[in-house]
Amino acid sequence: MTHSHAISALDLTKTYTFHQQRAGLGGALKSLVKRKYETRLAVDRVSFTIDPGEVVGLLGPNGAGKTTTLKMLSGLLYKTSGELEVLGYTPSDRKPDYLRRIALVMGQKTMLWWDVPAMESLLLHKEMYGLSTPEFERNVAELAELLDVQDLLNVQVRKTSLGERMKLELMAALVHGPEILFLDEPTIGLDVVAKARVRTFLAEVNRLRGTTILITSHDMDDIEALCSRVMIIDHGRLQFDGALDELVRTAQPRKLVRATYATAVDASRLTGVSSVEVSGLTVRLEADRERTSDVLEQLTRLGPLVDLDVADADVEDIMRDLFERRGEAS
Amino acid sequence: MKRNLRVLQRMIAAEVAQQSIYRGAWVIFMLANICTPIISLLIWRTALANGARLPVDQRYITTYFVLLGFATMATSSWMAGFLANDIRLGKLSSWMIRPASLLIGFVANNLSEKFLKLFALVPMIGLVWWIFRDSMNVPAGAGRWALFFVTLALGAILVFTIDILIAAFAFWMDDVSALVQARVIIGSVLSGSVVPLALMPEWSRGFIDYQPYRYTVSFPVEIVAGNLSGSELLTGLGVQLGYVVAVGLLARVVWAAGIRAYSAVGA
Repeated sequence: MTHSHAISALDLTKTYTFHQQRAGLGGALKSLVKRKYETRLAVDRVSFTIDPGEVVGLLGPNGAGKTTTLKMLSGLLYKTSGELEVLGYTPSDRKPDYLRRIALVMGQKTMLWWDVPAMESLLLHKEMYGLSTPEFERNVAELAELLDVQDLLNVQVRKTSLGERMKLELMAALVHGPEILFLDEPTIGLDVVAKARVRTFLAEVNRLRGTTILITSHDMDDIEALCSRVMIIDHGRLQFDGALDELVRTAQPRKLVRATYATAVDASRLTGVSSVEVSGLTVRLEADRERTSDVLEQLTRLGPLVDLDVADADVEDIMRDLFERRGEAS
Repeated sequence: MKRNLRVLQRMIAAEVAQQSIYRGAWVIFMLANICTPIISLLIWRTALANGARLPVDQRYITTYFVLLGFATMATSSWMAGFLANDIRLGKLSSWMIRPASLLIGFVANNLSEKFLKLFALVPMIGLVWWIFRDSMNVPAGAGRWALFFVTLALGAILVFTIDILIAAFAFWMDDVSALVQARVIIGSVLSGSVVPLALMPEWSRGFIDYQPYRYTVSFPVEIVAGNLSGSELLTGLGVQLGYVVAVGLLARVVWAAGIRAYSAVGA
């Protein structure tokens, strides 16, 4: 473990113990007398490091262990075994000095006081984090401008929309200038405009303040917009850790090509391609990455081209395929 | 500590602002709070007037019940159910990631509500006091009154700490509402909120005098209403302090163990 990393996890493991109860009156009565306890492995010997300033996406299907990992990193949960260090601290000790340097935003939980304006919660954070008045005012002004919420600070939180509330949540989480920001589904339930605003804001925070961001999201647009690196957790194990484009290359080694012609063409003349589909004047196909230039050359010779589009597979589709394949394999 | 106090001050201010919206509710709450002791007072006075032989006189009974509404309000805590719910539903998480005491919100809520309730309760007690002014024990010196307020504060801490202890079981149990309800029922009887402990049977004396709930409501009121000797006062104060420390330590140990078992549901 070295302190030059913002986060270091080595063989991080978490198990939960819970009791099972059959449905119905019989099950309830039986559980009164005898309970069957089970231990579930939520996170299984996960190891990784994250450097200061990185934006990392933590991905996985529901119940994969990503939120449990985030909870251990932020100090909400004790690890069962392994080693974990964040900014040189053991998170579960929840030392005030540690808590002052991190923030956690949970898409489905609020830090804001519901019945009073958000400014009351911000002032509370000023006292909690020991911010001086000039520092507090500077941070509030900067964040309010980035998030465009100047007019919302003195409105009762309960009267704001979901998107506005998430922006205010982010503001409350960042007013003390944390070095690490943990985000659990920050765009859940937001409309496309609000999602875009939150993503732009997070990218700006990372760029301007160098904040390390670890984000879990089921929205692949969040991940594509923000993360240069992704970690995929499934069944509690770290299945992939690397750049997003590397994931795309590994999981989907083919490019998707779409060519539209002015007149009908004979696509059967094409070689080294697969999944060829002809629909009217448009030809869709897949080509190996290494053979893309050769395929494009063939397409230009095939007929009078009107439009040509080469793309990677959609990240969302890749993730779905990946999780489905793993689900079937397990 | 200093930071927690500043946070507490800020939270109390916000809570008062927030709760003052419900001023009508406080008046109704306090009317209900004072009604039971006044009805009890009238019943016991009638019993005494009809020749009932009690170990205490009419002045004791009157002073006891007039002050009872104030004492129960001042030492009350309603936190256990809410805190247990926060633990069970994972709402504690939003406090755990911030550098302040996890219970500070509940302390602020308790103090601010009591502050607002005073505005409704004090005039009501003043009126009842004025009505029964000729049959009340009023200590001459300021000493007993000072001790009354000190023991009330300690009683409030004791009730609050018992609530933390009960709520902490929610770290392991799916539902602690039965425990909370038991605490309320047992507490109301053993604290002297229903019947003055001085009227309890002689055979229960040792238990009644030294059980913890006496020190939440009855003991402070006895200081003003009764004729506790100097040594009884000192012993009582020592026992009360002992309970505050012992329950506080126990709550701390159970709470710390609970935090380790916390599963932060749903976050």
